[in-house]
Amino acid sequence: MLSPEEWSAVGLSLRVSAWAVVLGLPPAVAVAYALARGSLRTRWALDTFVNLPLVLPPVVTGYLLLVLLGRHGPLGAFVYNTFGLRIAFTWQAAAIAAGVVGFPLMVRAIRLAFQTVDPRLEAAARSLGASPINAFFTVTLPLSTRGIVAGAVLGFARGLGEFGATIVVAGNIPGITQTLPLAIYSRIQHPGGIAGSWRLVALSVALACLALAAGEWLEHRERRRHA
Amino acid sequence: MLSFRIRHNYPGGFTLDLDFRAERRVTALFGSSGSGKTSVIEMLAGLRTPQHGSITLDGRTLYDSARRINLPPQRRGIGVVFQDGLLFPHLTVEDNLRFGAKRRRGARPIAFERVIQVLELAPLLRRFPRTLSGGEAQRVALGRALLSGPELLLLDEPLAALDEALKHRILTYLERVIGEWGIPVFFVSHAQAEVRRLAEWVVVLNAGSIIAQGAPGDALAQPALLARHDRSGPMNLVRIDEIRQERDWWLGRIGDQFLRLPPLAQAPSAPLFVEFPPAAVLLSGHDIADISARNHLAGAVRNVVEIAQTIYVAIDIGQPIWAIVTPEAARELALEPGRPVTCLIKTHSLRMTE
Repeated sequence: MLSPEEWSAVGLSLRVSAWAVVLGLPPAVAVAYALARGSLRTRWALDTFVNLPLVLPPVVTGYLLLVLLGRHGPLGAFVYNTFGLRIAFTWQAAAIAAGVVGFPLMVRAIRLAFQTVDPRLEAAARSLGASPINAFFTVTLPLSTRGIVAGAVLGFARGLGEFGATIVVAGNIPGITQTLPLAIYSRIQHPGGIAGSWRLVALSVALACLALAAGEWLEHRERRRHA
Repeated sequence: MLSFRIRHNYPGGFTLDLDFRAERRVTALFGSSGSGKTSVIEMLAGLRTPQHGSITLDGRTLYDSARRINLPPQRRGIGVVFQDGLLFPHLTVEDNLRFGAKRRRGARPIAFERVIQVLELAPLLRRFPRTLSGGEAQRVALGRALLSGPELLLLDEPLAALDEALKHRILTYLERVIGEWGIPVFFVSHAQAEVRRLAEWVVVLNAGSIIAQGAPGDALAQPALLARHDRSGPMNLVRIDEIRQERDWWLGRIGDQFLRLPPLAQAPSAPLFVEFPPAAVLLSGHDIADISARNHLAGAVRNVVEIAQTIYVAIDIGQPIWAIVTPEAARELALEPGRPVTCLIKTHSLRMTE
């Protein structure tokens, strides 16, 4: 039904989005916690910084990432000199782009979950001998699983749709960095492409629905466990 | 022994300036809301850092601003029972109970099985906190704090969220815990009846400073407390250790006198606590026959305090009680310390709690 090229775009999209979540989730949890519990002064600066990718044009985010990760960029040069690896124009760059763009969404969902956990429960855990980190992992985190699942799903779904930042920092190389949206875009550029793209478009819609449904199911299961 | 010397200025002008020691087994911090009680609990537990002063427990320094010592909550060895229990909603009762025991190795050893027995927790172990009633949750919270093997149990208004009947059941459990493990208890309360029943020493707090401390009978006799009309106002609580049956009613002994108890569905058991408001006590210069009040208790006036045209009279009938009378009545009866009086108390104005 799908051509090998189309399959590769689907597989790449799934891999990129999955890695975007895997890479983005731990810092998102940390930042969300800092935002939910931190002092007001640090919160404002952090909040603004974290939400930037949400309001910047994705192309600008991609540009900034390219400057950072390119072979002569501060991070890219370091990785190249230390490990001999390039980041820009690889699928890893696409994953980073998807992770950065989806980051504010993950943070938002997780932060809301943390805010609903009574901070005094952590105080109770502390008085029972738990260190702050132990209290976080045994009390706050398990009580926020629903929000974390929701954040992961949002981040994943956003990653599937990432276009602007990806094309700048990872390019549009078939089989290497050409994710689903990029494949659709390339197809549309060719004569008769609009008609030829419907399979990928339908697949995009199906994947997005599937991601949301999976999230809904996970959340439901989580709610049942506590109810 | 606990020693607490703290000064803390809050933004907005409120200052907490306290210096007290708790040497007895059960100490109460008494005061109405806004007096600074909860801050004291938080500072003791290490959940709030005071600005100046020091806190020591059995010779260990928990906090000292001059020496820059501030032990984190997990190293203070203080078990806290919060007002609303604060059980972990995602853990079963058993996992809640074991939470502290697992994390505080080397603490005072407390046998899990024994706590379950004393607090009657066995039927609750597999349940989740949200399925517990208020009283059950409070018992679990008490067990959880206890099982962390604390050097001091801190109770923040442990009964405030419970209704009257439950309150007395929890008090009974608390008394069992105090009797069984002998862990020093420091509790915060704004209800006189609770304090009179449990505490051996009371620190009375008002607007951030201590206005009295001492044995409950003395410390709670502060003029500042008498004028209160809420639950921190004066309330008589008499402890009865011996009950005797006379025909078909029950008598409770106070010193060498007897109090006739109201009709009861079943035989009461000692110790029993009898509560009655100061307004339920009539004073007379001599014993009166031919009156419906069944209790005629002889006593001597210890103290007379006038507040807002109301005379508060402290009387010793073997245990201290309060009566309130008008200024004219006080004049006519010549009420002054040492004056012998008879207290007439209607049997039906007595409320009993176990």
